[in-house]
Amino acid sequence: MDWHCTATEERLSDFLDGALSPEEAAAFSAHAAGCAACARIIAQVGALVSQMQQIPLTEEPVHLVGKILDATLGPRTTQQGWQQWFGWMPAIWQPRFAMGLATVAASLAILVHAAAPQGRNVSLADLNPAALVRMANRQVHLTYAHGAKFVSALRVVYEIQSRLGAQTEPVGAPVRESQPQPDPPSSEPHDRSEANPHPRHHEAADGSMLAFAVANRWSESLPDRFTRSRP
Amino acid sequence: MRRHARRVYSLCYRFTTNAAAAEDLSQEVFLRVYKTLASYQPAYGAFPTWLTSVTRNLLVDHYRRTRCDRLTDSLDDAMPRLEDVHSPARTPDKLAQAAELSEQLQRGLARLSPELREAVILRDLQGLDYGEIRTVLQVPEGTVKSRINRGRIELARVLEEMGVRPA
Repeated sequence: MDWHCTATEERLSDFLDGALSPEEAAAFSAHAAGCAACARIIAQVGALVSQMQQIPLTEEPVHLVGKILDATLGPRTTQQGWQQWFGWMPAIWQPRFAMGLATVAASLAILVHAAAPQGRNVSLADLNPAALVRMANRQVHLTYAHGAKFVSALRVVYEIQSRLGAQTEPVGAPVRESQPQPDPPSSEPHDRSEANPHPRHHEAADGSMLAFAVANRWSESLPDRFTRSRP
Repeated sequence: MRRHARRVYSLCYRFTTNAAAAEDLSQEVFLRVYKTLASYQPAYGAFPTWLTSVTRNLLVDHYRRTRCDRLTDSLDDAMPRLEDVHSPARTPDKLAQAAELSEQLQRGLARLSPELREAVILRDLQGLDYGEIRTVLQVPEGTVKSRINRGRIELARVLEEMGVRPA
């Protein structure tokens, strides 16, 4: 196919767009290979088109969209007075958002309650990280001490209950027989009436008298045990 | 809305090389579209194509009104931008180069005839295909192709005269 410089210019965009037939494209390329002027303009236009297609759209001024909306839909009504401060409130009354907000508030309240110093107002100095760590450490130790004290008190109560139960289990039997005897029998005669001079110890089986009986029985049994365990 | 506004503003700015005129024209375009929205028909093409047609018609009107002082306005508006805003010393190299090329291209476009300029802008800067451009310009597709081709070659020559060499 015969090709000339005018045809190169006329079909340049078709060549760049890949719209030439294979024969035309071959003739175009063959001509460009032998014609410096055509090769130069092909390179220039090719580079220019490639660069132009990479240039982004010119950015509009920031206020342009607002102006267009004002011009087409009319000036937007601006909220006055308290509405401009609380206009966003309806958005947070959405159930999902409100539930999330309540959860976060509850979590924060728990955290603040655990971390805040007890017995005095929170000051700015308490927000120091070192102070926060110290308070948290103190809180943990206090909680542990309270727990240990509670468990210890429970053990005492259970021990007392078990001993009372062991003493009063056979209601009609003598108290002496029902008591555990870890030590060998003492050589000294031990009269039940002497060891338990108060007849009301039998009432300890009654739950309503438990506290009173604990106080009496505990105070009475200690000297007895000490006496018996002595050699 | 913002996407359409940017496309319309960019077309107006590339055609007029005047930021204030481009802003006024963009507002005018949307006002006209808003008023004539009821008369829009699918035969006019997709909405963006119709929007571009309205913009182009207003640009032609604007060109006819301001034909006399067009070139001086373009140069007065473009020169300070090159020196003050897009100084290579203030921006990274690539950004500065891209901005400088964009401004040089703008000055080259301003020296093309309106027919060639609008064809090149619509094709290479706005990314419209030949069919859309034919709809916008209301000319046969052969004419569209011819204008785009001549516009590209002319722009390359103008830029070469200006000492701009595309990489």
